Amino acid sequence: MSLDFTPILEYWPFLLKALGVTLQLSVASVLCGMAIGLVLGVWRAYGGAVARWIIALYVDSVRAVPILVIIVWTYFALPLVIGVSIQPIGAGILALSFHLGAYAGEVVRAGLLSVRAGQLRAALALGMSRPQAIRVIVLPQALIRMLPPIGSLIVIAVKDSAIASVVAVPELMRQSQLLAGVTYRPFEIFTTTMLLYFVILYPIARGTDRLYRKLAHLGAS
Amino acid sequence: MTLDWSVIWSNYGLLLQGAVMTIVLAVLTMLIAIPGGLLLAALRLNRVAVLRTVATGFVEFFRATPLILQIYWAFYVLPATFGIGLSSFWTAVLALSMNVSSFNSETFRAGIISIRRGQTNAGLALGMSRLQTMRHIVLPQATLRVLPALASTWVSLFKDTSLVSTIAVADLSFVSLKLRAETYRILEVLTAMAVLYWAMGYPQAKLVEWLHRKLRVVE
Repeated sequence: MSLDFTPILEYWPFLLKALGVTLQLSVASVLCGMAIGLVLGVWRAYGGAVARWIIALYVDSVRAVPILVIIVWTYFALPLVIGVSIQPIGAGILALSFHLGAYAGEVVRAGLLSVRAGQLRAALALGMSRPQAIRVIVLPQALIRMLPPIGSLIVIAVKDSAIASVVAVPELMRQSQLLAGVTYRPFEIFTTTMLLYFVILYPIARGTDRLYRKLAHLGAS
Repeated sequence: MTLDWSVIWSNYGLLLQGAVMTIVLAVLTMLIAIPGGLLLAALRLNRVAVLRTVATGFVEFFRATPLILQIYWAFYVLPATFGIGLSSFWTAVLALSMNVSSFNSETFRAGIISIRRGQTNAGLALGMSRLQTMRHIVLPQATLRVLPALASTWVSLFKDTSLVSTIAVADLSFVSLKLRAETYRILEVLTAMAVLYWAMGYPQAKLVEWLHRKLRVVE
């Protein structure tokens, strides 16, 4: 086995650009997913029976269907339904957010419900309105408790963004496939790519843990 | 847009075969990944520092890189660089097993650690050996505690098997994507694929939720 890393040295701007797309895809889907999750989580925790039932159906359905299937369906089938074609990156962001939103919703709900019910009642007794009490009293404490699972969700989002390669989004995974095909150096290229992912993901996983340990006391109720 | 669902009915045997392959992959992987996870957990809790470090590195690496890339790596690098020529089926099982073993090891480790230290000490004080304490005191209690997390991993695994379609293992997503390319009935075939996954996965997701509720630890 002889190693030859010249393709990496030669094509590193190409890989760097692909890494940029991976980060773009991840950040966009995390932000949209969290937004969806926040709405769904609050709604499921405090909403009526019908809302709870509909959200539960959405969450459990997303849990049941592979992200690959959601991405492929969004890119190939959704345009036929709505009559508008979608760019690969748009389909990637849409599918990943839809997927992540369900998981984020569960995290938000669990976080909200973990704050003792007495706090909400106390806030209401002090004359706060319900939305106010949730926003000012419950949510800030819940957010701190949600940190570790949110860290895992971000890690999952970055890893799942690699699956967007199946609809030819020019992100890191896809571009290394291309590069490996052109240069015939799969070991060097896929190993480099793997290390790049690790270098991004490992600090996120450890960083959120450390942040949580520092802030945990603020979320204790 | 006109829909023609007959493409699904005339190819249901093919889709069924794909679904069976998906189940086989998930079952086989879990059968390997439970002992694999136990081994890694044992290494991580070992008193020998070198073993701990190696096992931790292995686990962290597999948990912090995308599974699809691990599958690709195994498929392209093993034969080209190391001369290991596995079929795509066994390549898929290998990559999935390594990945799920890493996740399982974390589950098992957390389960073992969650049993209070005093119980191990009590076992040792009664004259049991370290291995006996592990087998008779810690593991039986830890088993119940890891069951919900293990079940969650199973559901993830069941879905993640779809990634092996990228290396041409004929699972449900591979046969569906092939059928889509052959028949051009894109919406029908892709929707049928999603519905089939949903029909298999939804009861599992519900079961996991029930397990989490049922076995919640109250200390």
